[in-house]
Amino acid sequence: MSYILSILPALTSGLAITFEVFVVTLVFSIPLGLIVAIGRISKINIVSRVVQLYILIMRGTPLLLQLVVVFFGLPYVGIVLERNTSALLTFVLNYAAYFAEIFRGGIESIDIGQYEGAAVLGLSKIRTFRRIILPQVIKRVLPPVGNEVITLVKDTSLVYIIGLGELLRAGEIASNRDASLTPLMVVGVYYLIIIGVFTEVFKRLEKRHSYYQ
Amino acid sequence: MKTFQNKRGLRKTCILLALLLITSVVMSACWGKDKDAEDTYKEVSGGVAENGDGGTGTSSDETDEKEQKIMGPTLDEIKERGYIIMGLDDTFAPMGFRDKQNNLVGFDVDLAKEVFKRAEIELKLQPIDWSMKETELNTGKIDVIWNGYTITPGRKEQVDFTKPYLTNKQIIVTMAGSGVDKREDLAGKKVAIQSESSAIDAVEAYPDVVKTFDGGKPVLFATNDKALMDLEVGRSDAVVGDEVYVRYYIKQKGKEKYKIAKEDFGDEEYGIGFRKTNGDLLKLIDDVLDKMREDGSYDEIYNKWFSDN
Repeated sequence: MSYILSILPALTSGLAITFEVFVVTLVFSIPLGLIVAIGRISKINIVSRVVQLYILIMRGTPLLLQLVVVFFGLPYVGIVLERNTSALLTFVLNYAAYFAEIFRGGIESIDIGQYEGAAVLGLSKIRTFRRIILPQVIKRVLPPVGNEVITLVKDTSLVYIIGLGELLRAGEIASNRDASLTPLMVVGVYYLIIIGVFTEVFKRLEKRHSYYQ
Repeated sequence: MKTFQNKRGLRKTCILLALLLITSVVMSACWGKDKDAEDTYKEVSGGVAENGDGGTGTSSDETDEKEQKIMGPTLDEIKERGYIIMGLDDTFAPMGFRDKQNNLVGFDVDLAKEVFKRAEIELKLQPIDWSMKETELNTGKIDVIWNGYTITPGRKEQVDFTKPYLTNKQIIVTMAGSGVDKREDLAGKKVAIQSESSAIDAVEAYPDVVKTFDGGKPVLFATNDKALMDLEVGRSDAVVGDEVYVRYYIKQKGKEKYKIAKEDFGDEEYGIGFRKTNGDLLKLIDDVLDKMREDGSYDEIYNKWFSDN
């Protein structure tokens, strides 16, 4: 037990990076994902095509590879980013693609009658989307979004490839130094607690959005 | 909301395939360098290492391409900036790792601190992923690779090394009472090794021995400590690894539980890696290290970390 206490400070400092990546990614990728989703279902062909290509690349290549390309590859075309910035940019772009597809699914699941009804009431297109469609979309996409959020918590461990010391790496360091598996177990508990909290948060969110049911 | 575009399915598929091709080409260009490194690796280990330029089998224009790609500051630019960035794998005890207070410590860290103090350049330590070390260096993200960095012919193609500053052995470790003392004793045993380590090169220099392993090849683990844990639980029968780390590990776990074989898989030397464009920096560091060997400060640091080995 005293051993576990002795490694906690180092692990907690790893937790800082994990949280940074997690929070920034969520804050930026969800709005971006919504914009991308709207672009994806745009009737302007070229917009939809470009967005589809973006989604294909983001979902179609490993996140680990994308991190490497952004950090080590972009300097070859003159774009030099800091370690943290590279990680955050890659994560936001990657997760926005996943969120976009979830939102698209949500938007397309809304019955055409809702649009027709709004049109009859004389609502503008933007008002229809904001006041009628979006609230229903949010209700429907909560479970898959919760899924992505949980995946994101664990995906943050990938930033080790560009030398950022997040939680799992902090555990690996301690494990290597002390020739023991215990630090990795402690790291596992950390992840479990974080994800447990988010599971509960989403449970409540879903309950709050379960009006009309 | 939906438009019907199904008729254009064929065209779409063609476009998609083209896109895939483009992305894969772009990505392979970015990865090109590492692949080259791997290739030379294999070539070298196949033909028993030694002669300086093991892997010149790859065409010369590829080497040219590699040289063009090197990015990063010169010695003057580093001095002007005021600091140098040293890349190290902070999981490699006892060369460079973190203590419980999360400070970077180790033999290489102490040595580097002293060297750059004498060279009057401020030292910044940057933890990196070890598999990316040459890429980190040649894209200018770090200026030095210094962390138990074994000099191999394949690596010499990508970086310039200082004179060796420490000798390491690839030793065979088993649980006590296994009776393994010679390389031949590994016949029929499961042998665990860290993947992408110089231990693999060392072992593959003895193809006849590798053939006799259980399964005909070593079992690979991400890190040495995982290979050693596998040994401890009995899934593997032996580990071949860096003497400096293995001795550190078994000291933690209790020396009496393990047995280090009398024979090993050969010596290797640690050097400090610089960009091929930083020859003057390399010479500066080599000179400082020579002086430290003369005035005994090298031995002092050595004894602090390896005294009871």
